[in-house]
Amino acid sequence: MQIEDDEILQGFIEESLEHLADIENDLLAIEEDGADIDEELVNKVFRAAHSIKGGAGFMGLTTIQDLAHAMENVLGLIRSSKLIPAPEIVSVLLNGSDKLQTMIEDIQNSNNYDITEHIIPLNAIVNGDLPQASTPPETAVEEPAAAVTAPEPEPEPEPEPEPEPEPSAPPPTSAPEAAASKTPPEPEPAQEPEPAKSAPPAPAPKPAPAANSQKKDSKKKSPLNVDTSIRVHVSLLDSLMTLAGELVLSRNQLLQTIASDDPRNAETVGQRIDLITSELQEAIMLTRMQPIGNVFNKFPRVVRDLSGKLNKEIDLTIVGKDVELDKTIIESINDPLTHLVRNSVDHGVEMPADRVNAGKPSRGTVTLKAFHEAGQVVIEIIDDGKGLDGDALAASAIDKELLTADQIAAMSDQEKVNLIFLPGFSTAKEVTDVSGRGVGMDVVKTNLDKLGGQVDIISEVGKGTTISIKLPLTLAIIPCQIIMTGGERYAIPQVNLEELLRIPANQVKDRIERVGNAEVVRLRGNLLPLIRLADVLGIKRTYYDKESDEFKEDRRERISDPRGPENPAFNTDKEEVQTQNKEPLEPRKRENGDRRFTAASALNIVVVSNGSIKYGLIVDRLQDSEEIVIKPLGKHLQVCKGYAGATIMGDGRIALILDVTNIARMADLTSLDGSDRAAEIAISEEERVRAKKDKQALLTFRSSEEEQFAVPLNQVERIEKIKLSDIEVLGGKKVMQYRGGSLSLIAVDDVAMVQPLADTEDLLVIVFNIASQIVGLLAIGPIDAMQVSVDIDETTLKQAGVMGSTIIDGQTTMLIDIFEIVGALYPEWFEDQEIYEVVEEDGSPPVVLIAEDSNFFRNQVKSYMTECGYDVMEGEDGQVAWEVLQEHADEISIVVTDIEMPNMDGFELTKTIRNDPRFAEIPVIALTTLAGEEDVAKGKAVGVNEYHIKLDKEKLMTSVHHYIKQLH
Amino acid sequence: MDNNSEAANKNIVELATFLVGDALCGMDILKIQEINKLIDMTKVPQAPSYVLGILNLRGQIVTSIDLGKKLGLGETNLKEDPRNIIVNSPGEHIGLLVKEIRDVVSADKEKFEPPPSNMGGIQGDFFTGVFKTSDKLIGILDVDKVLRIEENDQ
Repeated sequence: MQIEDDEILQGFIEESLEHLADIENDLLAIEEDGADIDEELVNKVFRAAHSIKGGAGFMGLTTIQDLAHAMENVLGLIRSSKLIPAPEIVSVLLNGSDKLQTMIEDIQNSNNYDITEHIIPLNAIVNGDLPQASTPPETAVEEPAAAVTAPEPEPEPEPEPEPEPEPSAPPPTSAPEAAASKTPPEPEPAQEPEPAKSAPPAPAPKPAPAANSQKKDSKKKSPLNVDTSIRVHVSLLDSLMTLAGELVLSRNQLLQTIASDDPRNAETVGQRIDLITSELQEAIMLTRMQPIGNVFNKFPRVVRDLSGKLNKEIDLTIVGKDVELDKTIIESINDPLTHLVRNSVDHGVEMPADRVNAGKPSRGTVTLKAFHEAGQVVIEIIDDGKGLDGDALAASAIDKELLTADQIAAMSDQEKVNLIFLPGFSTAKEVTDVSGRGVGMDVVKTNLDKLGGQVDIISEVGKGTTISIKLPLTLAIIPCQIIMTGGERYAIPQVNLEELLRIPANQVKDRIERVGNAEVVRLRGNLLPLIRLADVLGIKRTYYDKESDEFKEDRRERISDPRGPENPAFNTDKEEVQTQNKEPLEPRKRENGDRRFTAASALNIVVVSNGSIKYGLIVDRLQDSEEIVIKPLGKHLQVCKGYAGATIMGDGRIALILDVTNIARMADLTSLDGSDRAAEIAISEEERVRAKKDKQALLTFRSSEEEQFAVPLNQVERIEKIKLSDIEVLGGKKVMQYRGGSLSLIAVDDVAMVQPLADTEDLLVIVFNIASQIVGLLAIGPIDAMQVSVDIDETTLKQAGVMGSTIIDGQTTMLIDIFEIVGALYPEWFEDQEIYEVVEEDGSPPVVLIAEDSNFFRNQVKSYMTECGYDVMEGEDGQVAWEVLQEHADEISIVVTDIEMPNMDGFELTKTIRNDPRFAEIPVIALTTLAGEEDVAKGKAVGVNEYHIKLDKEKLMTSVHHYIKQLH
Repeated sequence: MDNNSEAANKNIVELATFLVGDALCGMDILKIQEINKLIDMTKVPQAPSYVLGILNLRGQIVTSIDLGKKLGLGETNLKEDPRNIIVNSPGEHIGLLVKEIRDVVSADKEKFEPPPSNMGGIQGDFFTGVFKTSDKLIGILDVDKVLRIEENDQ
């Protein structure tokens, strides 16, 4: 076949494809109407088939012409009401139009296609050999059981119509029956291979090719529709033309202005050009916009065929066909959407019987909805099926070893449902050929991520599932955050941007931590991994010096490093670094101050995420946010994975656009298989346990303006406001009147070497109850009670009255040991306290085993014990403590254990102890920072004798004494 | 490939000649879109070493390649006022940085000689032949090969 004129052919292809796209939906509508024909609609389809036939004839595409002709005949009968468009007939027509589409897309070879399988049933219909087949499809739909016996041929409604071959074929009626009753229909074609050509092929082989061609279609469709051409409304073209004309005018004006050297005029012309270009840009963008209906329109067919195949009854509702999206996006969402819709039909909506049992109408609904929201397009796929069971998903994730039980425990229901996006996670219990192809939703997510889209699932078990996809309107122009590193500008797409973070120089040391080799920053309780852009890109680390407005080399290995004595600002290869400012730089004098404390040392962090992974990118400088046009990089730069493209900035220079996902990969932030989310969950889980474990309620206060102190909140009885004049000094001791008695007053500086109590009129008294006496600690504000994770440094600031120090809100805080202070000032109060004097037979004091993972608390408890005359053994977690206990079974008289510990927690330790007959009687005292009732009950259940709050020395000691006494 | 349609008739090609390092090279002038002075370039970290950077050519992003480095004839000194030869490549333009532009020479294709056998290594790969004029020897550059991405580039 020769096709002379490419242009005419191209026109024919486009037009025909457009007709075919309409035909499909129209046919479905015709089917729905049944005998009650909408003439207009039938006419439309008829005309479409007719014009394809005409065009094909003109082009010499005989095969297409023949098929279109056969279809036209059938449609003609329907139009003249001689034929009722039963589903079987419509199926034949649909298959025919599929075939037409395949052939038109492969136009050069179209004449070689074998269309007998379509022509025969079509002609049969025309000749009145109507399929008695009206029965089989019903059985197929109504008896799901039948599908079990003959799953292959049954679900396809197509086989039924063919059996009415006029010529030499086997009796038509037997065929459908054969399909339904006899399982193996294959022998038939095998035995009569020859008639199969001219005569109707037996039903069995039919479904296969039909299905194949269908699949091929969907695959082929996208590449062919892509990039060929696009239809634009003439009015839009006109306005483009006008704008182009104006642009030319403005250019002429500009040239004139330049020639006449008139600066005032130049400004006007500039504005004009500015206006025209933005209008032009907008109009051109519009040409790229396509209604999402182009994608949605194929779903009625998909849902119809699928639900037929699965014996489900499903209505598809489509809302918002007119919503427009960029052409590239429309093309790319096709596959993910198909996957999701198929999923909804296959896994979401239940079988009719199950639905009725669940009290739902037997017909399920799937709704496809598109709408605008906040400058994005949202597409929702809603089904009223059985919903996703988050717990089942979680269990499955554990089975597949994607996550551990601990991680799951920390997840919300919403998070569990979203587990479906984990790579390697397919929900289908068994692989069906419909959707459970083992590919899973992670691919959908990846595809959408590429488009800058987000996908989210909301699901309620038994009620249904809503999958919502948020897409940007266009990919061509995107808002970006501009940053600078190493003197070059880079753009980070706004969709990836979570927030901007600046850590002032003086906080860098506190907020940036190192975990192994990685730098992390603590951001609202979460650890955020940090990546230095310069390192990932392999360029020299620089920093931006505001004073001199230049980038200078940074020699520090890591943020927390103190620098060597040499001046970092002075570097030998200035050329490379100082692109901003070429003026010669003299070695900076030391008196400029240590950079650690200047603004230049502050860290600029761009917090980015791609949906599954979030990290901080350390850059030299943050600039504005700009709308940029993405331009692709040349092929030589395809090896550079870190860039998504480049853009031209206002000054004509180029900035590279960073690919957030690949940068994370390049920094080895994620494992390549993509279990990013799992890693994140693991981190957050760790964080959660950690936070829970060391949370301690503290009361912070001050004694002088500069120094902050804290005491455990549970030791505080109350806080009173007093005036300086309320204090009386009698006998060298400070007292005040309080509730009809006198309250002994102390101050931190009475014992500890700290700055003296501030000399102000308004004071606070923190009242403690110690050794059954009350005592007031003088303090000033601000006071605050807070739950903090205490990481106590017990060496640096330790002294009499101060247990150690910790950092609260960036402020070093001394932890007051109120017992020690009171003990130093009022030793007599403690005199009547029992010191344990009973010794064991061998003359040694009783032994206490302390299980506690925090050094600080362990040492603290240990000191209480030794003070009171006990011997102490320690274990830094439950496991170690248990080993110690077994080793020294005879010596240990009592166990004091923390609850939250790694490896083996307090509950488990107690359980283990209680399960061993040797230790059934040993007293176990649990120490905790959070004596929740739940915990208490749980503890009692496993055999904890008593609960105490950490650092409540008195109560703890009393109960230790009590149990030891009991033992003897 | 190239401009055979025209050259086939006459067998005469116009060669644009230029210096890469000290070597005189030539290429079919029809492959050249334009020749520029070196303009402001943006470096691309992590790019192959022979890629100098990218530049903005009237709204198009053009990758600039140091031809000297690519051919193994030594890095082109950016301070000696080198020129960028912009050539068409499928889907994009690429800039080839050369030391100096020389004359345009008309050459008869029949008189092209195969590259001397001792011109091995990288250079040998990129030249299709040599052309002798009265006083000099021009290496005929196989531009398509120069622009091709090698698997082991990275």
